[in-house]
Amino acid sequence: MAVLVAFPYAAKAQNYFQVDAKPDSNHIRIGEQVNINLSARVELGALKGAAFKVIFPIVPDSFNHIEVVDKGALDTSKSTDAVSFFSRTITVTSFDSGRWEIPPMKFEVFSITDGSYDSVFTEPFFLDVNTVQVDTTKAFKPIKNVEEVPFNLLDFLKDYWWAILIGVGVIGGIIALVIWNNKRKNKPVEVPKKPEITPYQLAMNGLMKLKQDQAWIHTDSKTYYTTLTDVLRLYFEQQFKIAALEQTSAELLQNIKPVTVLNQQKDQLRALLTLSDLAKFAKFEPTPQELEDSLQKAIGIVEWTKAAAQNAEAKENAGDNPEQNNN
Amino acid sequence: MENTSQDIRQLNEKIHQASAFVDLLNLELGKAIVGQKYMVERLLIGLLAQGHVLLEGVPGLAKTLSIKSLSSAINGKFSRIQFTPDLLPADVVGTMIYNQQRNEFMVRKGPIFANFILADEINRAPAKVQSALLEAMQEKQITIGDTTFKLEEPFLVLATQNPIEQEGTYMLPEAQVDRFMLKVVIGYPTKEEERLIIRQNLNPEGMSKIQPIISPEDILNARKLVREVYMDEKIERYILDIVFATRNPEEYKLSKLKPLISYGGSPRASINLALASKAYAFMKRRGYVIPEDVRNVCFDVMRHRVGLTYEAEAENVTAENILSEILNAVEVP
Repeated sequence: MAVLVAFPYAAKAQNYFQVDAKPDSNHIRIGEQVNINLSARVELGALKGAAFKVIFPIVPDSFNHIEVVDKGALDTSKSTDAVSFFSRTITVTSFDSGRWEIPPMKFEVFSITDGSYDSVFTEPFFLDVNTVQVDTTKAFKPIKNVEEVPFNLLDFLKDYWWAILIGVGVIGGIIALVIWNNKRKNKPVEVPKKPEITPYQLAMNGLMKLKQDQAWIHTDSKTYYTTLTDVLRLYFEQQFKIAALEQTSAELLQNIKPVTVLNQQKDQLRALLTLSDLAKFAKFEPTPQELEDSLQKAIGIVEWTKAAAQNAEAKENAGDNPEQNNN
Repeated sequence: MENTSQDIRQLNEKIHQASAFVDLLNLELGKAIVGQKYMVERLLIGLLAQGHVLLEGVPGLAKTLSIKSLSSAINGKFSRIQFTPDLLPADVVGTMIYNQQRNEFMVRKGPIFANFILADEINRAPAKVQSALLEAMQEKQITIGDTTFKLEEPFLVLATQNPIEQEGTYMLPEAQVDRFMLKVVIGYPTKEEERLIIRQNLNPEGMSKIQPIISPEDILNARKLVREVYMDEKIERYILDIVFATRNPEEYKLSKLKPLISYGGSPRASINLALASKAYAFMKRRGYVIPEDVRNVCFDVMRHRVGLTYEAEAENVTAENILSEILNAVEVP
């Protein structure tokens, strides 16, 4: 180990800074790689507390038939309070057979405190690069085909983790959508509530409003009869499920017969509809008494059919709940 | 000038009196025609509303007898033209013939110069002859040579079409069919009616002879009154709703009809529906129109004015089906 003395604190103590270059093996086959461990050891006691820096040799990419494959990072993990230990591994190979020398490599220790330095060289060593023994007595074998790399799940996961993540996300989304849709479908259908106000009440409200407003006095007979017959037609439509609004007076009289028993009220209805047709389509001006009577007739018809309507509703409800009916 | 309540009341009374002949006419026609009241009623609507009637029905349904009887009851001139493939326009309207004695051309009027024309099996004649008749129906005048002759009023054409035996026929184009106010489809009489028909035809004394009840002048006066029948704006709107529903069914919540209708009723449909409704109201001895009148004539006025698509024909949907849907959807005033 050659030592150049320049460090003032350790003039006689070359051993305070020791360096080494040691290969894993001195024999490799051509192209095979070998690690060379470069290390430096500095005894802190000899430096008397001075701040210092160790400079590793500059390793070229290739030298003397040797190719440097990798230069490792500096490792100081083995340092203690008394000794600073630096190491670095370089990986080399050679593609030329023969015995090649790894020359001495220069390490320097540099004092930051006063700018002095010391340097030490490693011992050279040889690397034997051997060729592969070929039995020339045997015949040449053909070049082998390209071999498939066996499938490795871990490699696949490493390469395509993002695609797998997206796929899982999409599948999860679809499953969530299907579950949500099924839940929505299975949601019990809300049974439309029956209007709180019955057709009877609606009709009576309309007729009572006409009565309160004394519509036969304050509006013209055409408007009055239009409103009056509209109330009645709507009542028949809602109560007896006949398209009364789309039927003429004669059709209404004909079609209401099978759905309710009007008895003498049918004549009242006929008279009312006839008078209303005259007022609506022939500018007929009934007397105030006729006008008021028409309202009374309408109220009478609604009151008369109320019982029939209630019976029909009761029948309908019974039909809706057969279990209750059986009980 | 707007009608007042008093005007309509007076009109109603006037029409009530003037329309009394309708019942008499029906009674008189009933002597010769058994059943077919519907057809007779439609003939009267056509007569009073100045419209022509296209009749569709199998042979032997008293079509000729009906119009002949009507003609006799009105004391009008009746003429029957049997349409055949070799018929010429001159055979219908007339022509100029050379008179050797006078050494001049003279007009020889065709059978169309009558009050009541029965154009039997109109679809058997070529388009040229059909057009000659339809033009005469529209213009109510005929030009032969250099002379134009006005057709005598009342002038009513009853054209018939046979729904069977379509081979070798010339179907009337839509524009020509539209010229008929009514297209009436008649069916067979009932069993009871047919029994009476047999008895009547086998009667040794022959069939009852129709006596004139009214004159053509009375019909002309009645026509004037028909036009005076009061039609409220509510009824006008109802008529328009029906006609517009055939054009734009989707606006009347009838979107399902849209692919079935190729074309809807023309303004002529609205005019004819209003006129026919008035005539029907007159026949019911009323001076005003009510929705029933419109409903009653609607099918006959509209059935030949609603065009069906191939889709409708493929599904056996008829114009009557479409009109029923429309009448059930349009609100009655």
